[in-house]
Amino acid sequence: MDDIERLIGEYGMRLNREPLTRPMPRPQAEPAEQESPEVREDNTLLVRRTIRSGQRLHYDGNVVVMGDVNAGAEVICTGDILVLGALRGVAHAGAEGKIDATVFAFRLEPTQLRIAHVISRAPDEKLPQPSGPEIARVVENSIQLSVYNH
Amino acid sequence: MGKVIVITSGKGGVGKTTTTANLGAGLAASGQKVCLVDTDIGLRNLDVVLGLENRIVYDLLDVVEGKCRLRQALIKDKNFGENLVLLPAAQTREKDAVNPEQMSELMERLRRDYDFVLLDSPAGIEHGFKNAIAGADQAIVVTTPEISAVRDADRIIGLLEAAELYDPQLIINRVRPDMVRKGDMMDINDIDDILAISILGVVPDDQDIIVSTNRGETVVTDKKSRPGQAFRNIVRRLLGEEVPFMDLQQRKVMHWFKRILSGEAQ
Repeated sequence: MDDIERLIGEYGMRLNREPLTRPMPRPQAEPAEQESPEVREDNTLLVRRTIRSGQRLHYDGNVVVMGDVNAGAEVICTGDILVLGALRGVAHAGAEGKIDATVFAFRLEPTQLRIAHVISRAPDEKLPQPSGPEIARVVENSIQLSVYNH
Repeated sequence: MGKVIVITSGKGGVGKTTTTANLGAGLAASGQKVCLVDTDIGLRNLDVVLGLENRIVYDLLDVVEGKCRLRQALIKDKNFGENLVLLPAAQTREKDAVNPEQMSELMERLRRDYDFVLLDSPAGIEHGFKNAIAGADQAIVVTTPEISAVRDADRIIGLLEAAELYDPQLIINRVRPDMVRKGDMMDINDIDDILAISILGVVPDDQDIIVSTNRGETVVTDKKSRPGQAFRNIVRRLLGEEVPFMDLQQRKVMHWFKRILSGEAQ
């Protein structure tokens, strides 16, 4: 180290001995398609309780709820929404335009589902009870629910 | 030191006042010293269902504003005397006439002299509700088996938890087992699925309640009353006993025997 310091000193430079503690920032990936803004996949919020009527959760990233989202509650985020329980309220995934965002629930029975700019509501006739976990995604500009199997 | 319990619902007309009156009378009948407080300023009802409206001289607002001593405003119940007293609300004022800090202080004074202080909360989630929950140790949420009532109860539970009134207990009021059986009314499991708080009791719907509240009487001491029995059970649970839930099914067998005996055609 000392030799290096002396050597570069001869060229008018100084050695910075301070150790690098910050992690190197990841280079910003150039978004390939402009329609799907980059969502940081490591930014996920875990909520370990039921979200009750009148409560509103806003998050930049993905949201996982270990509990129910009751009717009259809202979950809005820029990424995906996963409800490990019953989703009975309003869920808005991909709120800033991420059209491939998804909404997952053990029991998907929402009053309204929104993904990016697409809004859909539960039909007026009582739907048959969902048989198990389901996932909702946008297919050709409308929201489709399907049985979850990755 | 007594327990201060607020009885609230969100939705109006589900039975908060009737429940407060009956639980108060039931606790007094069990030997507890109870103070009931009507916090529904402007729309007071607790005095009416207890038959005490003619005896009101001073009210909650007079106490808070220092116009009278607390003792002067407390009205003794017709049946239980010193063991059941009512602090009535003001009828000619509005809910913002008192603030949560004043309510909290008042509860501190009351809990010194009574085993139970039951607060009858107004409907809604605004000022009246906020006053009612100030100073309370625990909450009882009353709902009926109707979607709008359960929706409002869920909202209220969220607000109670935000105000650090954790583990509220639920009373499901005005249950009609015949409608539940037909699938026309939510059953207890549906309600529990959404609200997910411990159930303190289930009270059947009964015309006698309308009669008794109009007369200014409670049903909790009436041995023949089914809602009375439900309230008695709730009182025992509040006092720490484990009581199984009433069987609310109508007994069809008894009805059939009665028809045979009276010689009616089958």
